[in-house]
Amino acid sequence: MKRLFALNLLLIVLFLLWACSGADDGGGSIAASSDFLHPELTEQEMLLPCFECHQEVTPDIYSEWYNSLHGIGMVKCYQCHGTYENLKTEPEASDCMVCHADQIKKCPQDRKCWSCHNAHTFKRNSK
Amino acid sequence: MVQTRREFLKRTAALSAASYIGMSLPFSDSGIADAAVETTWHRGSCRLCGVGCRVELGVKNGIPVALRGVPESRTNFGYVCMKGMHFWKVMNHADRLTTPLYRARKTDTFKPVSWEKALEIAADKFASAVKEHGNNSVAYYGSGQALTEETYFFQKMFRGGLQTNNVEGNPRLCMASAVGGYLTSFGADEPIGGYADIEKADCIFIIGSNMAEAHPVIFRRVMRRKLDNPETTVINADPRISLTSRIADIHLQFKPGTDLALLNGMAHVIVKEKLYDKEFLGQYAVFKKGKKVSIDFSEYEKFLEDYSPEKVAKIMGGKVTPRQIREVSRKFATSRATLSFWTMGLNQRKQGVWANNLVHNLHILTGQLLKEGADSLSLTGQPNACGGVREGGGLCHILPGHRLVKKEKLRNQVEEAWGIPKGRIPPRPGYHTMAMFTAVNERKIKAMWINCTSPVQSLPNCNLYNRGMAADDTFIVCTDIFPTLTTQLAANLILPTAFHFEKTGVYGCTERRSQLTRKAIDPPKGAKPEVWIIREWGRKLAEKLDDPVIAQCIKPFEGLEEGYELPRAIWDEYSQKLTKGRDNDLRGATYDVLSKMYDGVQWPAPTEQYALTGGTVKKFVRGMDPMAETHRADDKKYQFYGPAHPDHKLWVWQRPQANPEEIPDAEYPFYLSTGRIIDHWHTMSMTGRVKELLRANPYSFVEVNPADARRMGIKPGDMVEITSRRGTNIMPAKVYEGPIEGMVFAYWHDQHPDRMINKVTKDAYDPGSKEPEFKICACKIRRVSGPKALKPYIV
Repeated sequence: MKRLFALNLLLIVLFLLWACSGADDGGGSIAASSDFLHPELTEQEMLLPCFECHQEVTPDIYSEWYNSLHGIGMVKCYQCHGTYENLKTEPEASDCMVCHADQIKKCPQDRKCWSCHNAHTFKRNSK
Repeated sequence: MVQTRREFLKRTAALSAASYIGMSLPFSDSGIADAAVETTWHRGSCRLCGVGCRVELGVKNGIPVALRGVPESRTNFGYVCMKGMHFWKVMNHADRLTTPLYRARKTDTFKPVSWEKALEIAADKFASAVKEHGNNSVAYYGSGQALTEETYFFQKMFRGGLQTNNVEGNPRLCMASAVGGYLTSFGADEPIGGYADIEKADCIFIIGSNMAEAHPVIFRRVMRRKLDNPETTVINADPRISLTSRIADIHLQFKPGTDLALLNGMAHVIVKEKLYDKEFLGQYAVFKKGKKVSIDFSEYEKFLEDYSPEKVAKIMGGKVTPRQIREVSRKFATSRATLSFWTMGLNQRKQGVWANNLVHNLHILTGQLLKEGADSLSLTGQPNACGGVREGGGLCHILPGHRLVKKEKLRNQVEEAWGIPKGRIPPRPGYHTMAMFTAVNERKIKAMWINCTSPVQSLPNCNLYNRGMAADDTFIVCTDIFPTLTTQLAANLILPTAFHFEKTGVYGCTERRSQLTRKAIDPPKGAKPEVWIIREWGRKLAEKLDDPVIAQCIKPFEGLEEGYELPRAIWDEYSQKLTKGRDNDLRGATYDVLSKMYDGVQWPAPTEQYALTGGTVKKFVRGMDPMAETHRADDKKYQFYGPAHPDHKLWVWQRPQANPEEIPDAEYPFYLSTGRIIDHWHTMSMTGRVKELLRANPYSFVEVNPADARRMGIKPGDMVEITSRRGTNIMPAKVYEGPIEGMVFAYWHDQHPDRMINKVTKDAYDPGSKEPEFKICACKIRRVSGPKALKPYIV
């Protein structure tokens, strides 16, 4: 299991590096660091709420979130993904625990929340 | 490889989706296990609205590192909102005030002074004011965010020590009309039921409240009720379609200020169609058109004739149909249990008390009260407006334990409890908030203590009152944790205070629930708990005025350690001596009991044994409320023992539709309304210092209906000037189908001089509750320019 985890982690890191690698080729200033996934933004651009861009560039994800319990209940992007200084593509269980500590205790401890509850819709995976 | 930002984002999103779905990874070491081993968790309440969510602050090496909800709590069941999740991050912020600061004149630069010197100055200024200008030349202006121990101790010092009832607080600005409504309709302040009714309600009527943003965790419970039980009807009545409307089955969008007509129109249908509960009315209710003027049912029925759905629909502006009014009235009356919620939309009005009465009327008429799922529940804005200010004596006309200042017998009870001479507390109420700041303008107040609030930004028509606060005629002390517009403009002396979880004390939330937050960490070096400040100041004050009665006021608290023992002694004095036998009897809610409870105690709770059960879920119901037995007047099931209704009855009020103070005209053709947004709290001195919250809503905007925007040539993001007879703001436009046509809406948190909307709002107030009409005034708007890059502004 540990080996599988390490392999998966390596694959993610490699994918992130690949994803960021074309950043400086003239497509705008994009950070080429594996721990900072977001395009570089000016201080002014950082004052835009996440959804201002993401409802256009990732409309499916925005729509899934907006129509989810988190969307209706106004649990916004930054709770799980942080803000620019601490941005993370994949949240940690501790982010969910702020509200869901009790539920997490009852869940399988070897799986991430979103392996059963789909990210952004938060509906239970039918598999 | 060329990659645009958009492509990058898409790719990142695709990657996240892949990693979410395709890989099942174990928890990292920094998750639960790590937190459980190294972090200690300290239970307390959230401090960013009136819901009373229970949370635990995670502390590692004496530093706050995390926060989580308490699943066992019956207020929030573990859930917290965006503000609640992040507020702990301000605790170690570099802007925390840690040194007393003083300036003789308000144009001078502040200079650090020692605590000894600071308290000496504060005592000297208050003592001099009393000696030279009399007792009513000093005043206290507090907060619904102060702990009960703090509000109680401050008002004790001002009333018993300095002999003035000039004791007020910002809850006057947000829930005084709810107090007036409960007292005049039910005979007792604060709701009969509570949040537990949400899960039992079949019809939920939300009026004048955007609870999705202002009370998100209670909204979550309403949402859950609706989603789990789709047959539950949610009715949302508001001039503005808000995020709350997303779960509504019916939205009634009306012209601002016409909701009194709507509520009378609903009563009209209920009476006309005989949907009222005749037996309940016969046993428990009377009809009134004045405090001493009773009417009978037929006169009330005749009064309602004027509110036919057809006529009311017209008054409301034409977006609501007579059929809808009939439909919501029938749902309200015939559902198995109906629960109403409202907040500032009804309270912050010139007819605020009347609007509250009219909601209560519907519940009394239909008997939708006192049973599971049915209640008339006013949501409170601040965490301790109920517990500290309404119950602890934090307004100019009330003493601790819901006692009226004007009643000698009640004053004497307080004097006896404090061990001070009879007659020490003055018989006349002090200045209410708007009168207090008018008195500052008139130079009648010579020394003022402002605690944990920023009136420079939060008073309506603030330009007018800021002139007085900026003048050197009034010496002003501010106790706070951060600089605010008030410390900047008005203060002579700033005293840095301990924050939540850096001190101990009780908050009492919306549903009569008192909850303890214990000190978990030390405040920054140099910051002190308010209770320590009051005691030390009081001792110096007693010396300067050579007054042993002032010394007597602090005597029970001398020598006690300020982190826990001092607040406990204050709470004991208040709860044991001053709530005994009162309708908010808290004698059972000792610190020992509160420490054991996940979610505190609902009063009345006269004994510890009873308090340990959680207290009283429903007031007035025999078998559920111990005081319904001890204060029983007859053998009936419900006992309305509240102090304001000697007849022990519920009162149905004849209250007509009445216009707001200011309505649009040719010169100022728009309504302006204001409100909260989910990411920020009050004057942003805290939430503006949390990056996540600041960036989510960095500055205010004005919401404009698309039809109005077209007519005025306003596009999204354009800079728009909003002008009333009192002041002007300029902020970007948000064009959407939110506010009804002819109305604009802005949120009130922004500190920037161009976007501080209370320069524009009106300071008319309800003649009964004295609560200002923040929610409605007339304004004009015009496009100033296209979009501009703006910066957040936090002093």
